[in-house]
Amino acid sequence: MNLKREIPTSTMSGFALSAVLVLTILNILLQNIPTKIQTAGDELLKLNSTEGVANAVTTVVVYFRGFDTLGEIAVLFIASLGIGLMLDSNNRCNIKAESNFMLQTASKFLFPIIMLFGIYVMIYGHLSPGGGFQGGVIIASGVLLLLISHKEFEVPHSVIVLLETFAGVSYVLIGLIGLVVLDTFLGNFLPHDISNMGLLMSGGIIPIIYIIVGIKVGSEMGMIVQNLIKRSDNV
Amino acid sequence: MTGIIILATFMGIIIIAFASIIQKKLADSIILFMGVGLGSVVLFFTFKAPDVALTEAVIGAGISSLIFLMALKHLGEKV
Repeated sequence: MNLKREIPTSTMSGFALSAVLVLTILNILLQNIPTKIQTAGDELLKLNSTEGVANAVTTVVVYFRGFDTLGEIAVLFIASLGIGLMLDSNNRCNIKAESNFMLQTASKFLFPIIMLFGIYVMIYGHLSPGGGFQGGVIIASGVLLLLISHKEFEVPHSVIVLLETFAGVSYVLIGLIGLVVLDTFLGNFLPHDISNMGLLMSGGIIPIIYIIVGIKVGSEMGMIVQNLIKRSDNV
Repeated sequence: MTGIIILATFMGIIIIAFASIIQKKLADSIILFMGVGLGSVVLFFTFKAPDVALTEAVIGAGISSLIFLMALKHLGEKV
């Protein structure tokens, strides 16, 4: 392998520059670590037990940093919107080749299992690793399997719009109810007793919000995938 | 033993990433990029971050590579 011929000099100098920068940043970070940073996560973990949620990561993502999650969902929505705008809405991409017989048969068998796993990851997000983002994307990958195996399959646009609107509006509404009841945006206004920790019905609004996030992410990713497969180029 | 596995995974990720950027065909690069994601899943799981591992498996190794492939299909012969 001749490196000099394969990679241009500008790319190599870019690699060298980024390596120097990374080393400089690491050097600065390692020289003066404030003692506060090392224990910053411990305080949040101590607060975790007050919400009665077994998975501490879920508490941080949905409750302590719930507003950030709202912003992340908005980012995903804008990405989905951009892909929808880039592609032509009138011209359908005509897929010529019929998909394989084995793929068609296997998709009928695999699709329910993928959907079940996605919904499980979504609903048990406050008890085990996983949650709304992961479950939503798993459901979208199940939709992708049907899209590539069945030529005529398509999720109706109105269904996706309905799900997405419902999820977005209810997320903000739950946050506003928390603001009215507890004077905090996304305040946990439902009962969340610590003795219920580990049960399915525990943690107050946190599982509800994660399910809403899952619906939103699943519909947005499904929209992106369907647009990329079904629509043709604009240019 | 765990340390050896972690070091081997690190080396594998670096080798696969380097192989990914020197490919001539973009589709091959994307497939190798999936391999980088899979190696990261093993690393995250051994570093006791199952949440991040699940996210990386689903998003990094799974659907983002597929979206790259579909975008490549849209670009077609222009690349």
